Amino acid sequence: MSAERFNQISPSEFFYRNRDLAGFSNPTRSLYTAVREFVENSLDACDQKGILPDVKLVIRAEDDTKQDPRTYTLTVHDNGPGIAEEHVPLAFGTVLYGSKFGLKQARGMFGLGATMAILYGQITTNKPVKVYSSTDGDVAHSFEILLDIQKNKPVIQKKSKKKVKKRGLVVSISLEGDYSKAGSKIRDYVYQTSLITPYASITFEDPKDNKFVYKRILKTMPEPPTIINPHPHGVDVETIRRMIVQSRRDNISTYADAVPLLHKALRLKEEDPSHDAISERASRRWGRLKPEVRTAVAITDALKCNRAYLQDITIEDIDLDAGMIHYYDNNVSQSRTAPLQGDGIFYSHIKNLVAGEQLHSFLTDRFQRIGPKTAQNFIKFAGFKSEQHIGLLDNKDLVKLSDSLQTYEDFLAPNPSCLAPLGESPLEQGMKKFFEPDFLEVIQRGASAYSGFPFIIEMGIAYGGEIQSRGIKTYRFANRIPLLYDEGSDVVLKVVNDIDWGRYKVKHDAPMVIASHVCSTRIPYKTVGKENVADRPEIERELKLAVQFLARRLSSYMSRRGKAEEAKKRANLYAKYIPLISQFCTELAGRKVEPKYTQMLRVGDNV
Amino acid sequence: MSKSRAEKKQKEMLEILKKHGSRVYDELNHGSFPVFDVPSRSVSNIVYDEKLRQYILGDSSAQRSSKNTAQVRSFTQLMWLAFFANRLTQEKKSSTLRDVYYSSQAFAVDFKNQAESNGIIEDLEAVLTKPREDMHIFPEERSSIFGDLDIEYTVPGYEGKRMNLANHPDGYAIGPSLTSAELVDTSAELVIAIEKGGLFTRFVEEQVDKKFKSIIVDTGGQAARSTRTLLKRLHDELSLPVIILTDGDVYGEHIAMVIKSGSANAAHLRELTVPDAKWVGVWATDIERFELPTIPMTESDIKRCQDLKKDPRYSHGIWRKELDTFLKIKRKAELEAFSKYGLTNITDRYLPQKIELARSL
Repeated sequence: MSAERFNQISPSEFFYRNRDLAGFSNPTRSLYTAVREFVENSLDACDQKGILPDVKLVIRAEDDTKQDPRTYTLTVHDNGPGIAEEHVPLAFGTVLYGSKFGLKQARGMFGLGATMAILYGQITTNKPVKVYSSTDGDVAHSFEILLDIQKNKPVIQKKSKKKVKKRGLVVSISLEGDYSKAGSKIRDYVYQTSLITPYASITFEDPKDNKFVYKRILKTMPEPPTIINPHPHGVDVETIRRMIVQSRRDNISTYADAVPLLHKALRLKEEDPSHDAISERASRRWGRLKPEVRTAVAITDALKCNRAYLQDITIEDIDLDAGMIHYYDNNVSQSRTAPLQGDGIFYSHIKNLVAGEQLHSFLTDRFQRIGPKTAQNFIKFAGFKSEQHIGLLDNKDLVKLSDSLQTYEDFLAPNPSCLAPLGESPLEQGMKKFFEPDFLEVIQRGASAYSGFPFIIEMGIAYGGEIQSRGIKTYRFANRIPLLYDEGSDVVLKVVNDIDWGRYKVKHDAPMVIASHVCSTRIPYKTVGKENVADRPEIERELKLAVQFLARRLSSYMSRRGKAEEAKKRANLYAKYIPLISQFCTELAGRKVEPKYTQMLRVGDNV
Repeated sequence: MSKSRAEKKQKEMLEILKKHGSRVYDELNHGSFPVFDVPSRSVSNIVYDEKLRQYILGDSSAQRSSKNTAQVRSFTQLMWLAFFANRLTQEKKSSTLRDVYYSSQAFAVDFKNQAESNGIIEDLEAVLTKPREDMHIFPEERSSIFGDLDIEYTVPGYEGKRMNLANHPDGYAIGPSLTSAELVDTSAELVIAIEKGGLFTRFVEEQVDKKFKSIIVDTGGQAARSTRTLLKRLHDELSLPVIILTDGDVYGEHIAMVIKSGSANAAHLRELTVPDAKWVGVWATDIERFELPTIPMTESDIKRCQDLKKDPRYSHGIWRKELDTFLKIKRKAELEAFSKYGLTNITDRYLPQKIELARSL
């Protein structure tokens, strides 16, 4: 008889097995993806702290005599806030699984991609990631870290510190790559990133010792986005379930603040009282205790632990049906489980915690665009009761809640304050500097939304001048990331190609550049590679309006330019042919002196 | 005829060219952009004139303006050609279509190709209503003439020099000097135009010129304009009847018709037709009558027949009858077909019958 064995795998292991999905399918793509992840992390870090970014990217072949694919060292330096010494191992040596529900536009999500790059580097070269971090511009802590894939745990190999003069982060990995194939894409990526981040200085040193320098074009940064709650149209059942778990966790985690207050609240004299002593004193003073203190006591009682231990753990979940508390022990970096006793005031307190907040306050506190009045109307519409506890909703209720949230039509459109468009002026200055065109016009459309996610379209058209390309070249950006692959299936290209440019007096081989920037809390990518935006009708409509607006401006410019060119052409033709006509008719007419035609040549100028 | 004919023609041409030159000169001098009115040569403006018995241009014309940026180039080309024609005429020099095209390059007037330059030549013909031969511009291809005809050259260097066209058995090429020569005297009573060089030689060998008191002209297929001009002059100036012998097919019939009443291509010109010329064969009806060896008509022969039936000139008489017969028998014969009955059969038997017939027509 044989039994199948089911093994749980760690997040690192999961990503290790599915690295193709994250863009690490081959040495070419992997090198490109790794560059992207690190550069974007640096830019995001600077954006969040309002620091004008200085980013330097260096790619070096470790052994010049070898042929591609070979081992490269990829290093990214930034002047961002750095990462505190104690967080470095976790940030670079584990695959994090966060559960953030706050919405804010950012280039990447939770730095997951960077960790993937580190993982890829490690499995192809078996070398550690090197991190130098200084948060104060005085001391830098350096680490060499390997990742224990099976345990999802950082293994620190070396650690030291030294005096430095600059704040910021340097991350360096060894990885297998193919620069001869990935090079042009990486150069395009750096070039286009500089275009959409005109407030950053970006330097790229490639393996052939070429140096590409893109200096900062403007010194003002766009307004940073604010973190806001999700819009009701933008959540599904799974999101609501997680929000409820998060709400419970938030509720429970208030105990951490109460731990230092325990002594005072319980009037305890001993330095380190036992859990029995705490429970006993708390039972007597229960009515006078604040909720978070009650929670701290209840957990101490459940885990049979002392006060100090309480500070070293994180409660992950409480499962009443199974009678279990799941928590993470920071001392041993491990998840643990303890049984939960089913009686007394402590247990009922925990039971209340798990039942969670009431539906009405859950809606108003955790969603945007739901005030008390809207919440009431919605609850009536959905057939719930305001005082229902969210922790007690069953699966059927959750589905009903989710469906109702998505179909209820009286929510205001999503709040765009979580978006961080570049702004018309920075986009214009960036394009002006990059293309030095004869004509340039940019537009930022008002905020709009699809499926509960707000988005803003920014677009610019540059024509003529130093632009050398024949035909329309379209640069696509999403959340300040250039999109380089899978051009053909992108909605931006579709919109640009659908325009009848002839109507706007633009020839098909016109020297013209379009830069399109879609900002959203969730870009609807078509594929996991995140290289092309899907054609959502709302987004397509906004793109179209933006292109049409710019095309109309371009059209009136082309008219003016056309007239001037026509006049010039006319003058040239007259200058060439009128003297000939004059010469021929003079002989034909049998005259000696040519007619006075010079004033006619000037007619061409005035038409 | 005296030599004043050529001089009159020259004077007329020089006057008309000077008139246009002076007009353009004055307009430029007054600061206005000169224009030419070019009669339209598009199909819609070509009409058949019953009285003249030829195609002529209708009233519509297009303005070619030196002000219009799309036309100033071709206006200049037209102006140059007038200027060049003026020099040719004044100096009595001859040029060819190809020569014109290459000469333009010396004056910074560029033609894209020979076709463009030919088009401008036709434009100027239409503006002046004069054939290019009057401007001393001739086609490349030459046809021939043979018979007892005295001519007197008018071209520079040969002025006054006389020649009898029966002196050389290969015949004389119909070129600029012959076209512009004075026709002084002849003993001939008839002009025989024949489509093919081979038969022309045979006719000379068989002394058709003497036997039938005739001048023999080889049209070399479709008759060039200089050939048609000469045929017209032989008819008009020497009062000689003109008969035409062609292959027995629809193309032969049309060669005869073009000599008689011109082509649509030259609808802007009026001195190229011999309305009294007579087509005497080979007719479709001859094919059966003389039991000539034949070959079947092709698709394009049949289509050409049907096209010509729409032409008003083919709506009556022998022209219509022969077309219908071709369409009925769907066979055609060449002039050489008479060789079946002996090499001289055509001159001994066929030609006398046809000349007799022509007199009665």
